[in-house]
Amino acid sequence: MITIPTSLLRQIYDHTEASYPYECCGLMIGTMGQDKTVHAFRRCKNLNTVRANHRYDMDPLYMLRVEREFESSPWDIIGIYHSHPDHPSRPSQTDTDRGWPDYSYVIISVQQGTVAGAQSWVLDEGQRKFDEEPLITGDSK
Amino acid sequence: MSSVTVKIPTPLRTLTYGQAEVKVEGATVGEILRKLDAQFRGFGDRILDDGKNVKRFVNVFVNEDNIRDKQDLDTEVQTGDTISILPSIAGGK
Repeated sequence: MITIPTSLLRQIYDHTEASYPYECCGLMIGTMGQDKTVHAFRRCKNLNTVRANHRYDMDPLYMLRVEREFESSPWDIIGIYHSHPDHPSRPSQTDTDRGWPDYSYVIISVQQGTVAGAQSWVLDEGQRKFDEEPLITGDSK
Repeated sequence: MSSVTVKIPTPLRTLTYGQAEVKVEGATVGEILRKLDAQFRGFGDRILDDGKNVKRFVNVFVNEDNIRDKQDLDTEVQTGDTISILPSIAGGK
């Protein structure tokens, strides 16, 4: 299960809508245990400018800087979000091929420029497939 | 021989018994990563191809320098350096 405060999720949605019709991506930072809670997020640059309407490649240097930004905090990078413009919020074969275990992958479907829904997924590395995990929204405690 | 800190990303921490960083001594990135492989079973399989190159979908930084822009696994390290291992994050619809 992953919990994302409503205000943060709205800001993530704003990123995906502003990026439409291109895909966007970002990092979710928070606590990781049996359940995850997102406490912050950072927008990341999509390096794939050639096929940005259906692919994303996160800038690794930016990821490094986000890791450094939070290294003295109790939080970690716990997942990635990205948008699927005019496409369902389910992992594609590309997502599965490039997925890593333990991270939560929140996929946001943006239809005609407006968020239509979001789902969170975790890679089952042994089976090489994504399983959906409950995505809970609400105010953080 | 230099003493460096290696930052372990979340998806690899099951291999390091939950440790987010590990102190290792070595002269090059390759030597350090091979020491980690000896210390943590399966570690090398996740980040190295045949022990000779970093896998395509893994990024390794020494401080803020990607070793692909330096001398890859032959990149030398200094005491106090930080080596960060980062998954390459990509996908799309």
